[in-house]
Amino acid sequence: MTDPARRVPRVDAADKVTGRTRYSADHCPPGTLHAMLVPASVGRGRVVRVETEAARAVPGVRLVLTRLDPEQVRSPGFPQSGSGYGFQSLQPLLDDRVAYRGQPIALVVADTLTAAVEAAGRVDARYEAEPVAVTLDAEGAHTVVQAEEFPGIRRFADIEVGDADTAFAASPVQVDMTFDFGPQHHAPMELLATVVEWRDGTLVVHESTQNTGAVRHGLARVLGIDPARIEVICPQAGGSFGQKTWLQPHVAPLAVAAARLGRPVKFVMPRKQTFLATSFRPASRHRMRLGADPSGRLLAAIHETRSQTSRHDLFASDYPSITARLYGIGDFRGTQHLTRTDVPTPGFMRAPFEHVSAFALETAVDEIAYATGRDPVALRLDNDTATDPVTGNPFSSRHLAECLRRGAAMFGWAARTAEPGSMRDEDGALVGWGVAAGAYRASAAPGVARLRADAEGRVAVDVTGHEMGQGLHTAVARTVALDLGVAADEVRVGLGDTRSAPQHLTAGSWGTATALAAVHAALRRLRTRLGVPDDGPVDVAAAVLATGRPEVAVEAVTRAPGQSPQAVDRLHAGLSAPAGPEYRGFSAFSFVAHFAEVRVAVETGRVRVSRVVSVVDCGRVASPVTALSQIRGGVVWGIGATLREGSEPDPRYGGFVNADLADYVVPVGSDIGRIEVAFIDEPDPLLNAPGVKGAGEIAFVGVAPAIANALHHATGRRHRALPIRLEDIL
Amino acid sequence: MSTGIKHGALFATTVEVACTVNGRPVLLLLDPRESLLDVVRERLELTGTKKGCDQGQCGACTVHLDGRRVLACLTPAVHARDADVLTIEGLADPDGTPHPVQQAFIDQDALQCGYCTPGQIMSAVACIAEGHAGDDDQIREYLSGNLCRCGAYPGILAAVRQAARATAEG
Repeated sequence: MTDPARRVPRVDAADKVTGRTRYSADHCPPGTLHAMLVPASVGRGRVVRVETEAARAVPGVRLVLTRLDPEQVRSPGFPQSGSGYGFQSLQPLLDDRVAYRGQPIALVVADTLTAAVEAAGRVDARYEAEPVAVTLDAEGAHTVVQAEEFPGIRRFADIEVGDADTAFAASPVQVDMTFDFGPQHHAPMELLATVVEWRDGTLVVHESTQNTGAVRHGLARVLGIDPARIEVICPQAGGSFGQKTWLQPHVAPLAVAAARLGRPVKFVMPRKQTFLATSFRPASRHRMRLGADPSGRLLAAIHETRSQTSRHDLFASDYPSITARLYGIGDFRGTQHLTRTDVPTPGFMRAPFEHVSAFALETAVDEIAYATGRDPVALRLDNDTATDPVTGNPFSSRHLAECLRRGAAMFGWAARTAEPGSMRDEDGALVGWGVAAGAYRASAAPGVARLRADAEGRVAVDVTGHEMGQGLHTAVARTVALDLGVAADEVRVGLGDTRSAPQHLTAGSWGTATALAAVHAALRRLRTRLGVPDDGPVDVAAAVLATGRPEVAVEAVTRAPGQSPQAVDRLHAGLSAPAGPEYRGFSAFSFVAHFAEVRVAVETGRVRVSRVVSVVDCGRVASPVTALSQIRGGVVWGIGATLREGSEPDPRYGGFVNADLADYVVPVGSDIGRIEVAFIDEPDPLLNAPGVKGAGEIAFVGVAPAIANALHHATGRRHRALPIRLEDIL
Repeated sequence: MSTGIKHGALFATTVEVACTVNGRPVLLLLDPRESLLDVVRERLELTGTKKGCDQGQCGACTVHLDGRRVLACLTPAVHARDADVLTIEGLADPDGTPHPVQQAFIDQDALQCGYCTPGQIMSAVACIAEGHAGDDDQIREYLSGNLCRCGAYPGILAAVRQAARATAEG
């Protein structure tokens, strides 16, 4: 990756800096009408009456929908219950129930956006409101044991290795901490946007999503039509971070409206509604007990969690997966609970479980370091393991120790004095240095790559995968370019389009591993068909001409190691089929070490994260330029998650009170100091041919505890909740 | 003399507005409630300008109005009367050569999803022209009205630094 010829710039950057990139809302087919939703203003209850006369009287209004026919529109189902497509099973507008504040109670369509907004504001509803429970401790919230709700499903089950309770009780050094993490929202810059159009009986949907496959098949289920009549297109999402994982409940009603009116319909969700009517990172509480011997050798861990879900779905959690594996802890127990509250169903948000689990574990590890007088880096190195403690199998690759060593050297860790409050900068501010590690499962899904080369020398590839900014487009183009010896910006890459390749959820850091495995296999096939050697540059035009055909097209279908052919069937049905982290004979994870420096002003308590060093083991780096940005972005997310971001539930009326970008505070440029990134860049030998693990999630895992540990080092104060605000510092 | 304004009861329902957009003369018949953002996007089909919040909190809709950076979502389109509007589509040279700030964003990979990028670039161009790109802290501060959820801030800082230097040497 140091070879400058292999430094491929982001291939879609030129389009993005000129405004040429087309996002979903940028589509405006002739005759497009504009839609607006009317959100429920109570947090739970029943719609008694909806007055629509004033709305219908607004000039330009075409349609006001308050109820859909249950014969025509059904629930999309919920993925974790087995085979669903919706971010929640609840389909609004089918009955009079309100399950959460912001649930759509009407849909308005008008000639202009101005008219649609005005008319939506003129819809007047009366409710029978019921008491709401929107926090873990609210009266009326109902808690269940996760393992009992999902019998026989390993990834939702408790994790038990050895006898953690006995081993913890016998541990000479014990830490017992409880952590509270509030809800958070993804807040991608792109608003949720949908343009639906019926063209000769085919439903064409431009939808901002990281899962065109589920939108397609979910709409087929909801509307009861053949998926062959639905096309979903999203070559570029404007960020997503898990918000756009599944079918949104307003898309089917938009399709109904477009059919009734015989015109394309566009809907761009107002920012406030994105905080009230979509999924979010659930609140969770963690009790973390960690036992060690006097040398800091970790002996036992018990990780018990309680996580928020909705009334209508159980969003199962996966918190102990990394706490059981980040270190070689012999005795481990992880138990998970879910608490039903009056909210839209929570969902995946960047490192959904790992971000907070790492905070709980890595804070406790820091406590062990102080309790045993060990250096936090040395203690982590001593507890490294080459074997997955849960399965007893080896890790496919694990360079965590190298991440810690290299990061410590880059950061200058050796100059740290251990005593809290012992370091100051030239201005007298308290300086804190903290470290934390992270792990994220290396998953992969079935993928399809369709590769074409023509006698003009042009190469095009359509792949399973979505581009949301993470750089998949560039990674695919670079892989083809370096393989064939052509220019990356001349490789046409098709992503996020159900017309050209079957589409699977792109999430969980499996996107690059999935797409590149398929692309790599397709390249081998293309070389065979062209009759050229298995590696080295190819004169594509000459090789295609020599076949006597104008074009050579190949297809490769790949599966994760050990996956059955049924996984491919699921891909074709728009269902998700990721494998990992446990594979036959090995476990696979990405790893990271983050080092953070904070400066705390003694007069005001203001915290600055002046420096972060991150060293990442994500397998082979598939696209150095975009991977660097991806890691820096994960660090920025970590700074936001630690010091800024928290959604404030409204216990009176439901929903969240800070439902906009002024009050849900994400980092701005002046919050960000120096961020230095290094990659191990060693290919994983078992996961896939290109040797890729995942980078997008691991970038963020462990940033928050590194900062919080640095804060402890600066002030001596231990933090057990996120975000950490000024009042927690002073 | 016609004012170009049609009245409903007391208030105007349509207003005629002449302006230039990216150097091109444009005549619009506007509902006075329409934002400049919705007009450039939905009527002029200049979709490079983005809607990220529609309430002046994110900066994704930043355009130039008579050379000043404004938030198009908070600017009534009627305020563009007789003004020059510049959007991201009009920033490059007519021959297609990218503006130095656009080139710097490519060079420094100062973007990921690209959704905030047009607004970042319009702000950065103005920031440099205002003389607010003197050092790193100043650049960070004067671009802090433009959110980037992907967290491309280190690249954006480097890009503005590069473009400011090129402008100074230019």
